[in-house]
Amino acid sequence: MNKINFYLIEYAINSILRQKYKSFFITTVLTLLIFLLTSVFFITNSIKSELNSTVDALPQIIVQKIKAGRHYDIDVSSSDAILEITGVVDATARVWGYYYFENAGVNFSVVGIDEFEEQYKKSLSIIVDNAKLDFNDNASMLVGSGVKKTMLKNYYKEYFNFIKPNGELKKIYLKGVFDGDTQLESNDMIVMTKASAREIFDIDESKATDIVVKVSNLDEVVTVASKIKLLFPDARVITKNDLKISYQNIFDYKSGIFLALFIISLFTFFIIIYDKASGLSSEEKREIGILKAIGWRVDDVLKEKFYEGFIISFIAYLFGVILAFLFVYILQAPLLQNIFTGYSQLKTSFELPFIFDTQTLFLVFFLSVPIYISATIIPSWKIATLDADEVVR
Amino acid sequence: MNENRYTPKTPKLILFVGIIMLVFVLEAYYLSMYKSDSKEMLVKKKNFVALVGLGDLAISTEATYIRHRSLSNVFSIYKDDGSLREYFPSTFTYSHSHIINRLDNE
Repeated sequence: MNKINFYLIEYAINSILRQKYKSFFITTVLTLLIFLLTSVFFITNSIKSELNSTVDALPQIIVQKIKAGRHYDIDVSSSDAILEITGVVDATARVWGYYYFENAGVNFSVVGIDEFEEQYKKSLSIIVDNAKLDFNDNASMLVGSGVKKTMLKNYYKEYFNFIKPNGELKKIYLKGVFDGDTQLESNDMIVMTKASAREIFDIDESKATDIVVKVSNLDEVVTVASKIKLLFPDARVITKNDLKISYQNIFDYKSGIFLALFIISLFTFFIIIYDKASGLSSEEKREIGILKAIGWRVDDVLKEKFYEGFIISFIAYLFGVILAFLFVYILQAPLLQNIFTGYSQLKTSFELPFIFDTQTLFLVFFLSVPIYISATIIPSWKIATLDADEVVR
Repeated sequence: MNENRYTPKTPKLILFVGIIMLVFVLEAYYLSMYKSDSKEMLVKKKNFVALVGLGDLAISTEATYIRHRSLSNVFSIYKDDGSLREYFPSTFTYSHSHIINRLDNE
């Protein structure tokens, strides 16, 4: 094991400083490239972890009715048939959907919950500041902070008028706002009694949006799902695993686009560096020639070039990652978040949970540092293997 | 200092890189302390998701088919998107999900 030759490092530093502007420019460009890619990875990782942290709280199986290839209201009576399947603990018909509020051009997600279910009381007390949702009261609701803001903007302070399909108004009083901590999940949500939700969507008592099924043994979920499918050939049965897969897909797609863009820009960057270096200025060529003439070996020249490349790319990498942390988690990714939030009017705060993901850091490191080093070493090696007098001349 | 007589800039470089790395570590520490999900927050989030039973985040809300995955199929990213985006695994930019054929008990 050779000791590190500090004289070579010193020479590399001087060489970088000699070409101040070029080095600075390359470091800046590489920093920006790394910063952009790392930011996107950080955002997708945080969203992913946010989804995965709550995915276990989702129902194990969701059963929907499909008619003519579209989602259709399912019969509430289907839940009785599903309950008879061995292993099923609970099958509940749900009423939920989207309410389009035309004035603001936003979709609210309206969810109806049962009046008599005591279990909600406890969880409501955790997620709503001073919840006073009286389930006997058919005209009250809990909303997410984004919904509250939108309503306030449209002068609805204490209640909101929902327009029913037949054109009548349904006045529902605002009884509470969901905790800000749950904003990423609850921003566009409105929770009310099932009866109110039915009225707003004009869903008959015998119908529901879908049925959620609880299975006691997790290993039986797939079996139960296939049994439900046999029982109702017109049903679409979605397990929790399917949901996880579809989350995975959307992130693979979005970060995939970025990775593709990044690879293109990195490749372009590589070509520029390679081209610059292989078209080494006569001065640089002469420098290598003189170094060889005064007794440097080929590997000394290459080591020096390696140090040069490593210093620049490693500093750029560190700066890029530090900036990405700052940009995503402290500044909440301005501009870049629009790619993920779309053109929605109902913006969340985009305060993502911080995840220290070593995998991403390594991935970006190996995509940037070795590539840059190789782009600088290869042309130097070509020159360094020539005879000194040939180069100098 | 005598030993660095011929290499005066190297210690400075090492110090500089050291400082950047320290900033990186401190930043990561700060973020993990103040910007990651606390236990209490997770409990709230889980409770909320359990209450409404709808998974997706309220990040994209302009389209009904983005907000809740349960209304789209496994491969379509945006169910009724006008520009007919991804519907089949073969058209993915990156790659389709490799866990699609994996059974739950594997």
